[in-house]
Amino acid sequence: MTVVPAQQTGGGGGSSGLYDVLELVLDRGLVIDAFIRVSLVGIEILKIDVRVVIASVDTYLRFAEACNRLDLEAGPKRSPGLPDLVGDITESGARGKSKGALSGAAETISDAFKQSREQSREEPREESRSESRPRARKSTTASRRKEEQE
Amino acid sequence: MSTYVYGITAGSHPALPDGMGGVGDPAQEVRVIKEGDLAAVVSDAPEGLRPKRRDLLAHQNVLAETGAGGPVLPMRFGSVSPDDAAVAGVLAERGDHFKERLRALAGKVEYNVKATHDEEAVLHRVMSENPEVRALTEANRAAGGGGYDDRLRLGEMVVAAVKNREAEDAAEIQQALEPAAAAVSAGPESTGWLANLSFLVDRESAETFIATVEEVRKGHPHLDLRVHGPLPPYSFVEPGPSEPAEPAETDN
Repeated sequence: MTVVPAQQTGGGGGSSGLYDVLELVLDRGLVIDAFIRVSLVGIEILKIDVRVVIASVDTYLRFAEACNRLDLEAGPKRSPGLPDLVGDITESGARGKSKGALSGAAETISDAFKQSREQSREEPREESRSESRPRARKSTTASRRKEEQE
Repeated sequence: MSTYVYGITAGSHPALPDGMGGVGDPAQEVRVIKEGDLAAVVSDAPEGLRPKRRDLLAHQNVLAETGAGGPVLPMRFGSVSPDDAAVAGVLAERGDHFKERLRALAGKVEYNVKATHDEEAVLHRVMSENPEVRALTEANRAAGGGGYDDRLRLGEMVVAAVKNREAEDAAEIQQALEPAAAAVSAGPESTGWLANLSFLVDRESAETFIATVEEVRKGHPHLDLRVHGPLPPYSFVEPGPSEPAEPAETDN
């Protein structure tokens, strides 16, 4: 798989690169009815990463606060001013009074994902598989930190 | 001993990953079952196989290695056959179908694109597009943050605007990338991305596809785009669901 020099995989380190394709390995690909599949019970890996905006009172208040802190005169460029904002919003949104399908999803951590974090610490050499991206991944960093709290 | 199946490829595949490490701990040795013009890439199935990181990665690596040498139909993770004979039986019985898919996917790889908003940048964008939001923000700020109801009202307005942008950006990403791909397939849902799309791309035009992604990135500074590929065509093994796109002709 070296045909394309500009291959892009992975996030800001960690196992996020693999994580991003796990859903394809687990949820796509050929299924043949003559074969059995190993049990995927307990695998909620597709729903862990709650990063979309969730409508809830908690989210509203945090967005209002984010607007309050926003530098209104600055252009829409990235600045290091609010590094923790994304994580704060999504974490609280998922824990709070969120409505809809994403409610509580962040609490469900799969075997596979725990495993992936543990092993990514044990096997740092595997990290070299994923190239680091030029831009920082604020939200990934934040959500990973959340996972480590649990 | 049951048999773990990684993928199906042509028997004439020039570089089958014989002897590579597969799923299990210790890793089971990858071998090949040939039947007619087809070959299945398999290993012994380890006892108590679970979708652990090591095993998912092994599955992906065996398929990546196979795919580097020629077209492969990737199995979904965890496909186990009672024995080798049953694998050969499936190859014989459904050979025509597999061969058709291998022809259709020859020279093509999957690129998965996921997008999220950069929070601060999207707030700036919402602010500039929506004078009401900006006015309320400034009023709240002048009032030392504003009262509870004011903050709630602002937050609700902002969340609605951000959600609108999520939907618009998702559509724009697909629209921009589709012409550079042979087919597109929506990724698994509920993953927390504003867009999660897989594109079937000719190896030959992969650089064009990547360049198009870069253009989208430049044109949408409030988006975080993550591109993964080239991957085995997980999302395109079954005919049907993917919409044919215009063939890629030039850049864009």
